[in-house]
Amino acid sequence: MAEDRVWSASAEVTWCPGCGNFGILAALRQALAAAGLEPWQVVVVGGIGQSGKVAQYVGANFLQGLHGRALPHAIGVKLADPELKVIAVGGDGDMYSEGGNHLLHAFRRNPDIVCLVHNNGVYGLTKGQIAPTSGFGFATKNRPMGALVPAFNPLAAGLAMGGSFIARGFAGDMKHLARLIGEALNHKGLGFIDILQPCVTYNRVNTFDWYKERVYDLALEAHNPADADAARARALEWPAEGEVKQIPIGVFYSSRREAYEACGLVERRTANAERRSEGKGRGREVRTANAEPSDGGRGGQRRGADPVSVAKKAIGEFE
Amino acid sequence: MDLIVAGHAGQGLQVISRTLAWMLVRAGYYVFLSQDVMSRIRGGHNFARLRVGTEPVYADGDAAQVLVALDPALVERHIPHLAPDAVVVTDAAGTLPEGVNAVRLPFADLAREPVMVNAVAVGASLALVGLDPAGLGEIFSGQFRGKGEEVVRRNVAAAEAGFRAVVEGGKGCCPPKLAGGVPGERVLISGAEALALGAIAAGVRVVTGYPMSPATPIVEYCFRHAQEAGLIVEQTEDEVSAANLAIGAAFAGARSMVCTAGGGFCLMNEALSLAGMTETPLVLCVGMRPGPATGMATRTEQADLLFSIYAGHGEFPRAVLTPADAEQAFHAAQDAFRIAEKYQTPVIILFDQFMADALWTVERSRLRSGVASPSTLVPDSAAIKPYSYRRYEVTESGVSPMVLPGTAQQLVYADSDEHTEEGHIAESAAIRLLMVNKRNAKLAGIRRELAVPKVEAEVKAEAEVKARVKVEVKVEAEGEEKAETLVFCFGSSRGVVSEALKRLRAKGLNAAMVHLNHIWPFPVDAVAGLVGKEKRALTVEQNYSGQLAQLLLQECGVRAAGTVRRFDGRQFTVAEVEAGLEEMMR
Repeated sequence: MAEDRVWSASAEVTWCPGCGNFGILAALRQALAAAGLEPWQVVVVGGIGQSGKVAQYVGANFLQGLHGRALPHAIGVKLADPELKVIAVGGDGDMYSEGGNHLLHAFRRNPDIVCLVHNNGVYGLTKGQIAPTSGFGFATKNRPMGALVPAFNPLAAGLAMGGSFIARGFAGDMKHLARLIGEALNHKGLGFIDILQPCVTYNRVNTFDWYKERVYDLALEAHNPADADAARARALEWPAEGEVKQIPIGVFYSSRREAYEACGLVERRTANAERRSEGKGRGREVRTANAEPSDGGRGGQRRGADPVSVAKKAIGEFE
Repeated sequence: MDLIVAGHAGQGLQVISRTLAWMLVRAGYYVFLSQDVMSRIRGGHNFARLRVGTEPVYADGDAAQVLVALDPALVERHIPHLAPDAVVVTDAAGTLPEGVNAVRLPFADLAREPVMVNAVAVGASLALVGLDPAGLGEIFSGQFRGKGEEVVRRNVAAAEAGFRAVVEGGKGCCPPKLAGGVPGERVLISGAEALALGAIAAGVRVVTGYPMSPATPIVEYCFRHAQEAGLIVEQTEDEVSAANLAIGAAFAGARSMVCTAGGGFCLMNEALSLAGMTETPLVLCVGMRPGPATGMATRTEQADLLFSIYAGHGEFPRAVLTPADAEQAFHAAQDAFRIAEKYQTPVIILFDQFMADALWTVERSRLRSGVASPSTLVPDSAAIKPYSYRRYEVTESGVSPMVLPGTAQQLVYADSDEHTEEGHIAESAAIRLLMVNKRNAKLAGIRRELAVPKVEAEVKAEAEVKARVKVEVKVEAEGEEKAETLVFCFGSSRGVVSEALKRLRAKGLNAAMVHLNHIWPFPVDAVAGLVGKEKRALTVEQNYSGQLAQLLLQECGVRAAGTVRRFDGRQFTVAEVEAGLEEMMR
């Protein structure tokens, strides 16, 4: 596959020169190509913010929706068509503030999707307000008194909510990040990655250099991602207040908890909901892999199920 | 004949009223069952009204011949609802007001177990109206599904004890017995169940919601049938997620429906707007209960009409359907999916709590006429040049050919930003104009899909009751032509207005009804044509501000000569509508 041609955007990229988002976009494309996925097999769901624009730039199918709502959209896509690889992308404002409730419940629900959060500790699109991950006291031109509450710790929250894959990446280490995204793509369940993303315009504290001095790779330490207690301790290394000495990146925690679509009733339901188009062009490779016939059906309709006859049968209940 | 069953929450009133209703339907009567329920799980005062007829019934009566009160203390407050010769069945213990014609039964003794009191009441009621209790076992089996045969048997025994007690001891105070029922192919179904069933028949695949009256029963029905119907039913963390999850699923090609009430719908407004912008087919079932805010959770109102029409920021096409009863609810779900899919836009089924909670007798054939919505996908996506699909291709109708994500060698872009035909973010003024016009062009097509409102002198019995010619109620040509007054209504008011007009005609006051079942896009030409220059328009609606009257004026330039309104959370009675209209017509 000519990866550069296929995984490229038809839209103009409008980020500031030097933005951390470029590293994330490149890492994501690299991971998708390495996973052997074709662009049409992938849906990227973007939130609203500079981060969410990734959806438009990757070169896959996309649903660019609403601020904070990328996760519900992504879960909906996955439930309707489990064959699609679904990636929700948003910023710290998207996922930790506006859509915080969705994230907490997504950890519990554990859908088989990837969730990437561009965490730059500041609001870019709206020009420099504080974010839920802004450090305590972090000030901008628009918030001269600084952040008055401690920062949100997404990794600790994810671990507390039973998240099955909790990782942190750094936009300044593209290779490492691409590998992490690859692991999240392979993970069965919610592959969550908090990505440290320097904002060159509005965040003069958490710069590329600031991060480079502090990040270290968990994979090079004696860290066992199956150990939840160890993961929690690592997640708390970045204190809610006070000086930040070192920042672990890599996979904090990974478990084999079953993905939402794969447990009990849901499994059968999604199997029933397998969708195929009347068209001849849909999902041939995937279908062959599953050794499924590719006849008939449409939009989330289960094979052979005639909705009218189901309804007719159900009427019997009212006799 | 009208019956009332009263008791406290937790006493099994549903079992009594539903069992009676089912027995009556089986015996060939049309039953209309409505509930008056307090928002509490135990105690309080709840009651159900049953209207029984040999012809279809669509509204509560005003004078019951039978009152079944599980607690004698509840009798007094129902005296205004009773006919002068009414019979009251109640417990032997406790005092009753003077002059009540009562059958006192030792409920607890007859029941043997406290939980069987409701079964005793069922048996007693059957004896009073002259129905044989044979067949109760089958109905109890349905009611107590999963509780085992022993439970069913004991309930039947308790009901028989109640039946015998009335037959042996209650003679001489019985109301006229029912007669004239002709068994037919009918079912007793609530508005909410009919909505869910209609959606299933239309081929819904994903149903989402967050519990809130009066939409909860729709989702619960879907949960119960998830397996057999191949449904994905999701109770999400909140309404915002419910609506957005449904949009994601619809984007990926599943017919999706989200169920909520007015308050939850407020939270979904941004998602509604997103469905409009991304041109995603989405069906929203929105139940109306009295607001603002939490309002009255278990009561009814019709105050979210204008809200539904205008909800969501920005301008985008939508349809709003306002079914009157279970049969219309079933077909509303079908229409909603057809329109949503054909025009790739949100469709709102706006129903009042009364419609959803009431049980209606529907000819089974009318529910069997359901059809799965036709697919509107591009038939052969392989014929499209690779990687050249344009999700928002501009067409004359405003509807773009639809291909789903996951189609080999095509990419599908859905964008909440203003976008190009491909679906990429755009700020150009020319593209903005193109897209605003494209989206809103769909309104003309949607308008063509909707039912044209007709003048109805009475609710026509859509029943197939050829055996009994008497029931074939026809709109009297006379009544229609001479009617100088048109009474407009929407939602569940249809049955009440129809009966009120019948009574007014008997008094020589001629008016005809126009029920708006498909209310938005507003049927401007049809309504303007019906009213013309000569006729007078009145509205009957359950809200404070006369929202339908506002629409008539705004959309058609028709100023309603008056409105009959009720906004205390209770359904109109026929007598109220009759009195209100009479005052304006005299």
